[in-house]
Amino acid sequence: MGTYLVKRFSLMILTLIGISIIIFVLLRLMPGNIADIMFESAGFIDPAEKAQIEKELGLDLPIPVQYFNWIQGVLVWDLGYSYVSEMPAVDELGPRIPITAKLAALALGFSVLFGLPLGVISAVKQDTPLDYILRVISLSGLSLPSFWLALLILMFSVHYFGDMPIYMDPPDNLWDELLLYSIPAAAVGFRSSALIMRLTRSSMLEVMRQDYIRTARSKGASENSINYHHALKNAVLPVTTIIGIEAAFLIGGLIITETVFNIPGVAHFLVQAILVRDYPIVQSLVMLIAIVTVLVNFAVDLLYAVLDPRIKYAD
Amino acid sequence: MADIDHRAELAKAGAHVTTRWDKLVFFARRYPLGAVGAVIMLVFVFSAVFADVISPHDPLQTKASASLAAPDGEFILGADMMGRDMYSRIIHGARISLTVGVASILLGGSIGVLIGLMSGYLLGWFDLIMQRLIDVMQALPLLVLALVMAATLGPSLENTIIAISIPLVPNVARVVRSSTLSLREMPFVEAARAAGMSEMRVAMRHVLPNILAPLIVLFTAQLGAAILVEASLSFLGLGVPAPHPSWGRMLSESAAEYARVAPWLVVFPGLAISLAVFGTNLFGDALRDILDPRQRS
Amino acid sequence: MKRTIFRVATAVSLVGLMLSAEAALAQKSGGVLKAYHRGTPPSGSIHEEATNSTVSPYMGVFNNLVMYRQDIAKNSMDTIVPDLAESWAWNSDGTKLTFKLRKGVKFHDGKPFTAKDVQCTWDGIQGKRKAKLRKNPRKSWYKNLESVSTNGDYEATFNLKRRQPAFIALLASGYSPVYPCHVSPKKMRTHPIGTGPFKFVSLKQNEHVKFTKNKDYWKKDRPYLDGVEWTIIKSRATRVLAFIAGKFDMTFNVDVTIPLLKEVKAKAPHAICELVTTNVSTNLIINQDAPPFDNAQIRKAMVLAIDRQAFIDILSEGQHVQGGVMMPPPSGVWGMPPEYLKTVAGYNPDVAGNRAAARKIMESQGYGPNNRLKIKVSTRNIAIYRDPAVILIDHLKEIYMDATLDTVESANWYSKVGRKDYMVGLNLTGVGVDDPDAAFYEGYSCGSQRNYTGYCKPEMEKLFEQQSMMVDQEARKKLVWKIDKMLQEDAARPMIDHRKAAQCFQPYVKGFVTHVNSVYNNWRLEDVWLDK
Repeated sequence: MGTYLVKRFSLMILTLIGISIIIFVLLRLMPGNIADIMFESAGFIDPAEKAQIEKELGLDLPIPVQYFNWIQGVLVWDLGYSYVSEMPAVDELGPRIPITAKLAALALGFSVLFGLPLGVISAVKQDTPLDYILRVISLSGLSLPSFWLALLILMFSVHYFGDMPIYMDPPDNLWDELLLYSIPAAAVGFRSSALIMRLTRSSMLEVMRQDYIRTARSKGASENSINYHHALKNAVLPVTTIIGIEAAFLIGGLIITETVFNIPGVAHFLVQAILVRDYPIVQSLVMLIAIVTVLVNFAVDLLYAVLDPRIKYAD
Repeated sequence: MADIDHRAELAKAGAHVTTRWDKLVFFARRYPLGAVGAVIMLVFVFSAVFADVISPHDPLQTKASASLAAPDGEFILGADMMGRDMYSRIIHGARISLTVGVASILLGGSIGVLIGLMSGYLLGWFDLIMQRLIDVMQALPLLVLALVMAATLGPSLENTIIAISIPLVPNVARVVRSSTLSLREMPFVEAARAAGMSEMRVAMRHVLPNILAPLIVLFTAQLGAAILVEASLSFLGLGVPAPHPSWGRMLSESAAEYARVAPWLVVFPGLAISLAVFGTNLFGDALRDILDPRQRS
Repeated sequence: MKRTIFRVATAVSLVGLMLSAEAALAQKSGGVLKAYHRGTPPSGSIHEEATNSTVSPYMGVFNNLVMYRQDIAKNSMDTIVPDLAESWAWNSDGTKLTFKLRKGVKFHDGKPFTAKDVQCTWDGIQGKRKAKLRKNPRKSWYKNLESVSTNGDYEATFNLKRRQPAFIALLASGYSPVYPCHVSPKKMRTHPIGTGPFKFVSLKQNEHVKFTKNKDYWKKDRPYLDGVEWTIIKSRATRVLAFIAGKFDMTFNVDVTIPLLKEVKAKAPHAICELVTTNVSTNLIINQDAPPFDNAQIRKAMVLAIDRQAFIDILSEGQHVQGGVMMPPPSGVWGMPPEYLKTVAGYNPDVAGNRAAARKIMESQGYGPNNRLKIKVSTRNIAIYRDPAVILIDHLKEIYMDATLDTVESANWYSKVGRKDYMVGLNLTGVGVDDPDAAFYEGYSCGSQRNYTGYCKPEMEKLFEQQSMMVDQEARKKLVWKIDKMLQEDAARPMIDHRKAAQCFQPYVKGFVTHVNSVYNNWRLEDVWLDK
C-alpha cells in the first residue's frame, strides 16, 4: 500500500507539471495578447505604447523565464496580477471560488438525488415499460444542450412569472442563496443525473446477476431487502467513480450555465478571461481546475483501493 | 470476436435469420429504441448529404422583407433577423454538425489508435511518456480544453474540428492500449509473430480488427459529444464562425435577443441539436449491447 | 468678439440656473440608480479609453472645464455651458482660449482643484508628463494645441497654433474630464479620483461597478441620487430580459437595438424608450495598398454594389439613416442634407442601375460570370459587425465577387488592421463629438492613430484646416458638406449607414435626457432623480 501511494502520488505530480507546461505554452501560442486587447477599448494600436505595456507586464521576457516566474508564484499562492483589473489574481479568484463550489455541490447533490434512485428503480424493473420510459428520459438528459435548457428556463420564467432567476447581488441569507442557485444547479445537474442513473442501472444489473445475490435470494431474503441492501451497497463503488469523473465534467457545464444565468463564479470568469487574454487569471484557473480534477481522481483511486480488495496495489 | 457474440446473441433469441432484411427486422424488434435512433440518424445524415437539394432556400440569402418572419408556407420554420430561412439553415446545420463529428472522429480516432497501438506494443519509455500525456489530457475537462484550444487557434471550421478531436485521443488510446496488451499474448498473435510477420503487420492484421468493436462504441458516443461540444463552443462564439449555419451559433446572440418576438429562432435549432444527439445516443446504446455485451447498460 | 462670447456664455448659464431652480421644487433626493452594464469597463480612466463602457459609468466621477447641457438633446456650440470653468474668452485672433476657474472645488480625496490640474491633464494627453498614459486615443483631437499655461491658481489658457473656434466643443465632451495632478495614471485606471458628483466605490470584473454620492460636491443640492450601481451582464438577451422583468431602472447607454425595442415596448409598455442616432456609423475600410483593391476601378465597382437601403431595412427595419462621415440631419448638425447626398456617387437609389454599371467595370477589368473575383471580408466576431458583413457578401455576389467572411477575435482585430492584413474590413466608427474637427482629424487626417486605412492626402488636409478655422459656422457647414462628398467619392472609408438605438428607463427615472447626436456626453447623472 505504501509504495502504491508513493508511486501514485509522484505520477500525479508529474501529470500536474505536464499540465502546467501545456497550459502555459498554449496560452503563449494564442495570437493577440493582453496589450492588443487593452488597445481594443482605445480603438487603435500604438506600437511604442504596446511595447511599453508588454514590458511592464513582463511579456517581453523569454517564455521559459515567464514560466518559472509563474510556477514560483503558484507554489507560494502568489498568482500575479490580473492584467485587466490590475488587482492580485488571488483576490479576483478567491471570492469567486465558493460561488462555483456551492453551485457545483448543489448540482452534484441534485444529480445524485435523482440519478441514484431512478437508476435503482430502472434496474429492478428491467425491461418493463417503466424502465423504458426512464431510460428515454435519461438519454434525453444526455442529449439536451445545457445552454438551450438554460435559455428556455429564462424565457419561460420571464413570460409566466415576470421575473427571472439571474444573479444580481450577493444573496442575503442561506435560503435566498439556495433559491438563487437551485435553478441553474438543476440545469447543470440534469445531465449528470442522467449519467448517474444509467451507471447505477448497469452496475445494479451486474451485481444482481452475481452469485451472492442469488444466494441471498435462495436464503429467503425479501426482494426489497436484496435490492436495496445488497445490490445497492455493491453498486456504490462504480457510482462513486463516476461521481468523481462527473465533478470534472460539471465544470464544463458550469461554464455555460454561469454565463447564461450571469453567476459570478470562476467558470464564467474563465471564459471572459480567455477572451481578453488575461493570462495570470486563465493559467491559474485552468491549473486550479486541473488540480481539483487530478485530486478527485486520486481520492477516488484511493477509495477504490480501500474499498475493493481485488485491486492490487503493486500495479 | 464481435462477430461471434453477435451471432450468439441472435441464436439465443431463437431468430430465424437468413437475409439482411430479416436481420434488420430482428434488430428493430430486439432493440426498438436503437431502431428509433437509427432512423433519426438516417434522417440526419440524409439532410447533411442532400442539404443543397432538399433545402428550399439558400441558407445564406438575406431578405429584408422576411426579417423575423413567422413560420408559414414560404418559411416552414420561420426566418431569422436577416431574413434567412431557418428550415434551410437547420438542414445545412446538419452538414456542419456531421462534418465536425465525423472529422473529429477520424482525426482524434486515428491519433488515438496510433498512440494506443504503439504504447501497447512498444511499451517501455514510449509507453510511459504517452501515458503521462494522456493523463494530462484527461485531467482537463473537455469543454475547458476545447475552449482554450478554440481561443488559441481562432474560430474556424477546421480549428473547431481539431479542438473537439483532441479530447477523444486519450479515450481511444486507453482502450486500444489495454486491448493490445491483452491481445499480444494471445496464441494466434504469438503464432503470427512466430511465422515471421513484422510487428507492425501483426498489429494491423490481427490486433486492429479485434479492437474494432469497442472502438465503434466509442466513436458513436463521440459523434453525439462532438455535436454537443460544437454547439456549445459556437454558442459561446468560439466555434464555427458566421456565416456558416451552425446550430449552436443560431442559438447564440441575436437568436436569444429576439427569443420572445420570434421564439422559433430558439426552439428549432435547439430541437435539432437535441434530436440529433438523442438519435446517436439511442443507436449507440443498442450498438454497444450488440457489440460489447459485457458493458450492457 | 471677446465680449460677445462672454456674454453668450453667461446668458446660457443663467438660463440653465433658472431652469434648474424652477424644476428643483419637485425633485426628490435619495435612492440608488440601478442600471445594467454590457461588460466590464476596460478601466476607469476616461482619457485612456475610447469606449462607452468607460465613459457612461465614469463620467459622473469627473467634471470638465465646460460641458454640453445635460438637459438639451441636441449638442451644438450653443448648448455648451460652464462646468469647472466659470467663464471663458478667446483672444482677438482666436488662438488663446482662457478659462476662469471655479474656486473652492475639491477632489474626492480632499485636495483642492487648481489651474495646475488643468495643465497636467492636457500635458498628459500631449505626452509631456512624466507619468505617461498607457493609451492615448484622442491625441489627434489636440493636434492644434501648442500648450496650456496658467496664471495663478484659477486661470488656465489653451494656446493654439492657429485659430480653431470648435476647439471648445472638444472640451465639452464627456471624453474631456479634468484629472487631478497628484494621482498617478495607474490609480486613475483602477480607482479614479475626480471632482464630480459621484465617487468611485468598487469594480468587480463581470459583476458590478458602484459609485456613491459625493457629499461635498461643489454644485449645491446635487446630485439627487445616493449612488449609481451598474450590474454587468454580458449577454444582451439576458440583460434586456432583466430590464423587462423590472430588475433595473435603466438600460446601458443606448443598448436597445431596434428589433429588441419592439420587444421592450410589447412586454414593458410603461418603460420610456428614446430612439436616437448614436453617431456610430457602419463603414468599410479598404486596403488600397494590396490587390485587388489597389485597383481604383475595383474599389469603385464594390462601392456601387452596395444597396444601403437593404442594409438599413434588414439591420434596423428601416430606421438607420444614410449619410456621409458627419451624422445626417435632423439629429446631426453637420451632415449632408438628403437632396445633397443624392448627388454623391453611389448614393443614387437606382440600385439595379448602379450594379449594372459595377458589372461593366468588373468586365472591363477581365472579370465575369465565369471568372469571379475571390475576396475576403474581414470583421470582428461581434454580431453588430458580423451581420452587416454577411449582407455585404450577399451584395457582392451580384458583381462577380465571391467573398468569404473572415471573423477576427477582438484580441486580434486592431493588430490585424494595423498590419493592413485585410482586403476589405467591415468596421464601426463612433465619434465622441458631433463636430467635423473631431471626425475629420480622428479618421481621415495624416498620422492619426485611428485613421486605420492610412488615408493621407495633402489637398484634403488643407480643406480640413480651412473648415476648422472658419468662424462663420453656416459657411463652414457648406464646406464640410463638400469635404464629406469628396471623401465618399474617393472611397476613403465608404459609409453604409448611421446607426440608431434606444435608451430605455423606467417612468420613475426623472431628469435624464438622451442626447440625439452623441452618446458620450450625457452621463453626468447629477440631475437625475427617482420619483418613487
